Amino acid sequence: MGGKSKRTFKLSLITLLSLSFALAGCGGNNNGNTKDNAKAEETGAAQTAGAADTGDKIEPFNISVFLGEAGQQPTPDNKIYKKIKDETGASFNFEFLAGDINQKLGVMIAGQDYPDMMTGNTKLTAAGAYIPLEDLIEEHAPNLKAHYAEYWNMMKDPNDGHIYILPNYGVYNGKVNSAWYSGPAFWIQKAVLKEFGYPQVKTLDEYFDLIEKYKEKYPKIDGSPTIGFEILNYDWKNWGLFNAPQHLIGHPNDGGVVVKDGVAEIFADKDYAKQYYQKLNELNQKGLIDKETFVQNYDQYMAKLSSGTVLGMFDQHWNFNAAEDSLTTQGKIERTYVGLPLVYDKATKDYYRDLAVLNLNNGFGISINAKDPVKIIKLLDTLIQEEWQKTFSWGIEGEDYIVENGRFMRTQEQRDNAADATWQLANKAKSLFSYLPKMEGSFSDGNSTDAAAQPEEYKAGLKPFDKEVLDAYGYDTYVDFFSEPPANPVYYPAWSIDLIEGSDAKIANTKLNELQTKFLPKAILASPDEFDAVWTDYVGQIQKANVKAYEDKINEQIKWRIDNWSK
Amino acid sequence: MAETLETEIAVRHPNRRKKKKRPVTWSLIKSQNQLIWMSVPLMLYIILFAYVPVWGWTMAFQNYRPAKSFSEQEWVGFKQFNFLFTDDNFLRVLRNTLSMGIINLVLGFVTAIVLALLLNEIKNVLWKRTVQTISYLPHFLSWIIVTGIVATSLSINDGIINIVLMKLHLIKEPILWLSEGKYFWGIVGASHVWKEVGWNTIIYLAAIASIDPALYEAAEIDGASRYKKMQFVTLPGIKATIVILMIMSIGHVLEAGFEVQYLLGNGLVVDWAETIDIFVLKYGLAQGNYSLATAGGIFKTVVSVTLLLMANGISKRLGEERLL
Repeated sequence: MGGKSKRTFKLSLITLLSLSFALAGCGGNNNGNTKDNAKAEETGAAQTAGAADTGDKIEPFNISVFLGEAGQQPTPDNKIYKKIKDETGASFNFEFLAGDINQKLGVMIAGQDYPDMMTGNTKLTAAGAYIPLEDLIEEHAPNLKAHYAEYWNMMKDPNDGHIYILPNYGVYNGKVNSAWYSGPAFWIQKAVLKEFGYPQVKTLDEYFDLIEKYKEKYPKIDGSPTIGFEILNYDWKNWGLFNAPQHLIGHPNDGGVVVKDGVAEIFADKDYAKQYYQKLNELNQKGLIDKETFVQNYDQYMAKLSSGTVLGMFDQHWNFNAAEDSLTTQGKIERTYVGLPLVYDKATKDYYRDLAVLNLNNGFGISINAKDPVKIIKLLDTLIQEEWQKTFSWGIEGEDYIVENGRFMRTQEQRDNAADATWQLANKAKSLFSYLPKMEGSFSDGNSTDAAAQPEEYKAGLKPFDKEVLDAYGYDTYVDFFSEPPANPVYYPAWSIDLIEGSDAKIANTKLNELQTKFLPKAILASPDEFDAVWTDYVGQIQKANVKAYEDKINEQIKWRIDNWSK
Repeated sequence: MAETLETEIAVRHPNRRKKKKRPVTWSLIKSQNQLIWMSVPLMLYIILFAYVPVWGWTMAFQNYRPAKSFSEQEWVGFKQFNFLFTDDNFLRVLRNTLSMGIINLVLGFVTAIVLALLLNEIKNVLWKRTVQTISYLPHFLSWIIVTGIVATSLSINDGIINIVLMKLHLIKEPILWLSEGKYFWGIVGASHVWKEVGWNTIIYLAAIASIDPALYEAAEIDGASRYKKMQFVTLPGIKATIVILMIMSIGHVLEAGFEVQYLLGNGLVVDWAETIDIFVLKYGLAQGNYSLATAGGIFKTVVSVTLLLMANGISKRLGEERLL
C-alpha cells in the first residue's frame, strides 16, 4: 500500500504542477490570431461585396480605437458620431491615453492586446502590431489612394517597405491658409513692442536689447518683479534650451542636427551654438534670465507665463498656448506674445516656419487584432471625402456655420460654441478627427479646411489690441512675421527619423541629451571668465559620447529618403 | 529524553537525519488532507506570482524584442550587465542610490521612533490624536503632489522655506535650493520624513501599547524620571519591533526611490539626483531595451537579498531578534 500511495501522491503532485503551469500559460499570446484575422478578412470582404450587391443596407459595427493622448469621452448623444453611425453604421469605442505613452505601449505589446485602430507609433510598427495597408487601400479605398497619391512612397516603413500608418497631417490641397503659427520662435510680449513703437526685430541682439530696455524701465509688472527671459528645460520639453542655435543660422527645425547638402551633423558643440549660449551667459550676468529657469518644472513655467511677468522666451507656440489663453481670460492681451523669427545677422534669411510634414508617429494604423480591416478601411475611405471633412472641421451647415456667397462663416454665437470645450464634447468629433486622415489647405470650393484659418473668420475674431499690433506692422495675421516657407527638402525633417529602439544611435542621442541638460545650464550660469572652461569640458564630453553612431544613422536614413522618396 | 537526544543528533548530522525521517505515508496524507487542500491555492498563488515571473529574468541575457517568441530571441550573454557596469555613470548612480537609500533609512527610523516616544508621553488624548492625524496624512499623497509642494515651498519667489529663513535672519538672500547638488540629498531625505514619519510611527505606537503598564509603575516606584522610563522601559519594549523593521528595510536600501529624484531633479543637480531606477528608465525602458531594464532589476535584487541576509546574520550574531 505504501508504495502505491506514494505513487499516487507523486502523480497528483505532477497533475497539480502541470495545472499551475497551464494556468500560467493562459495569459500568453494567442497564436491562432493571425489565422482568425485572415478568415475574418475573407468573410469581411464577402460581406461587403454582398452589401454592394444588395444596395445600401447599413450594418452597424463597432470599432475600438486607442488614441495616443489624453482626452475626454464624447457624450453618448454626440451629434457627429450619431451622424456617422446613421450613415455608415460605424460606432466607436475610444480608449484615451492615461499616463505614460511608452509604458502603455509596452503593456499593449507584451499582451498583444490591441484594439482595432491605434495611434501610429514606431514602437508598435516594430512590434508588428499593424497590418500592411497598401493592398487594402488599392482594392477598397480609391479616395484614400487619391488623397495620399503624392505621398505614397513617404508612407512606407523604411524597414520593410509596407504602409502601416495613415498619417493625419501633412497632405495639402489648394491654398494653404494659416492664421496661427504653432512652431518654435523667440516670443516677445506685445507690450514690449508697443512700448518702443513697434520696431522691426530681426536679430538676436535687437531682441535682447528690447527686453533689457523694457525691464530697466519697468522693473515690476503688476507688483511682481519683471522676468526678462525664460528657458524651459524640463523632462522631454527640452527644446527651449537645445534648439535655438539651428534657427539662428537660418536653418529649419531638424531636431538635434543641422543638414547641409544632405549631410547631417550635430550642432550642440559647434561655434554658432557657443555664440548663443555665451550670449545667454552675458544676459544672466545682467540679471535678465530668470534665476529659477533651470530648476522649474512645466507647471511653474506656465504659472510664470500666465502671470504676465515674463517678457520673452524661446519655445514652441503649442507648448505655452494655455498660458496665453489664461492671459486673454484675465484681459491682459498686451501680455500675450508675438513670435519672432530671429537670426544672428540681417544677412541670414529666417526659416522657422515650415510646411507641415507627414508624420508617421501619428494618425491611425489598423491592428492585427482587427476583426474586419476591410470595413475599417472602407469607413476611412468614406470619411476622407469632402462632405465628411466639412462636417468634421466646420460642423453642420446652418447649425455650426453659415454660408454667405459661397464663403463659410460663423455667427458670434457659433464662434463661442466652437471654443467651448463642453459644447465640443456633444457636437464635435474632435479626438477622432485629429487622428483621421484629413484634408488640409482648402476645399474644392475655396473655403479653408480649418475654420480658424478662414481669413474672414480670423479677422472677425481679432481683439482690438491685436488689430492695432497687426496694423502697425501692416500684416494680416501673426504668421506674417515669418518668411514664407520654401518647399520642404525631400528628407525633411530629420527629427522624424526613427533611431531604432536600443541601437547605438539611440544611446548616443540619449547621452547627448544628458550632457546638454547638464552642461548648458552650468555654462549659462557660470561667471563669464569660467564660461570657456565649462564649454571646453562640455565639448570634450560630447566627443567621448558615440555621436558618430547617431550622425551615421541619420545620414543613412537621409540618403534612404532621398533615394526612395524622390519622384 | 531519548527523543530529544535523537533530534539533536539529527540536526548535527543531516545525512543520518534523512534515514530517521518519518516516512510520508498514505495515512499521514489522509489525516492531513484538509491542510494539504487548504495550502493548494496558496501554492498556486506563489508559483504563479513569485516563481513564474522569475522566468522573465532570462530577458536580461537576450536582446529582447517584444512580440517574438522565446525561441526567436537573440541571446547575448552578459552584454546588458556589461553595459550597465561599464557605463561612466554607473558608479555615480550607485553612489546616489545607496546614499539616498541610507539617508532615508536612518532618518526614517530615527524620526519615527522619536515621534512615537514623544507621542506616547502626551497624556491629552485629543491633542495626541490631532498630532498623529496631521503627521500621517501626507502619506496618502502621491509623490507627484508631494514634489509639487516641495518645489513650490523651495521656490525663491514665494517659497515658504526661503520666506521663513529670511524672516529669521538666517539667510540674507533667498537660496535656490534645487540648483545645488549638495542640498539635494537633504531635500530628498526631508521630503521622505515629511511624507512618511507619521505613518511609520503607527507600528511603534502599537508596540508601545503592548508594554505591560506594571513595568512603568515599578519604574516610577523606583524613582525613574520620564526620560529614564523612556530609556529603560519603552525603548527596550519596542526593541524587537525596531530590529525586525530595520532588517526588512535594509533589504530595500536600493529602493531609494524614483519619483522624487525624477521629478525634483534637473540638469544642475543630475550628478546627485540620478538613481539606478532613473538610469534604467533612460537607457532601458525609454529605449525599448527591456533586457537592460531587467538586468538592472536583477542587480538590485541580488544586492538587496545579500544585504538582507547580512543584516539578518549580524543580528543573529548579536543575539538579537531576526527575520529568517
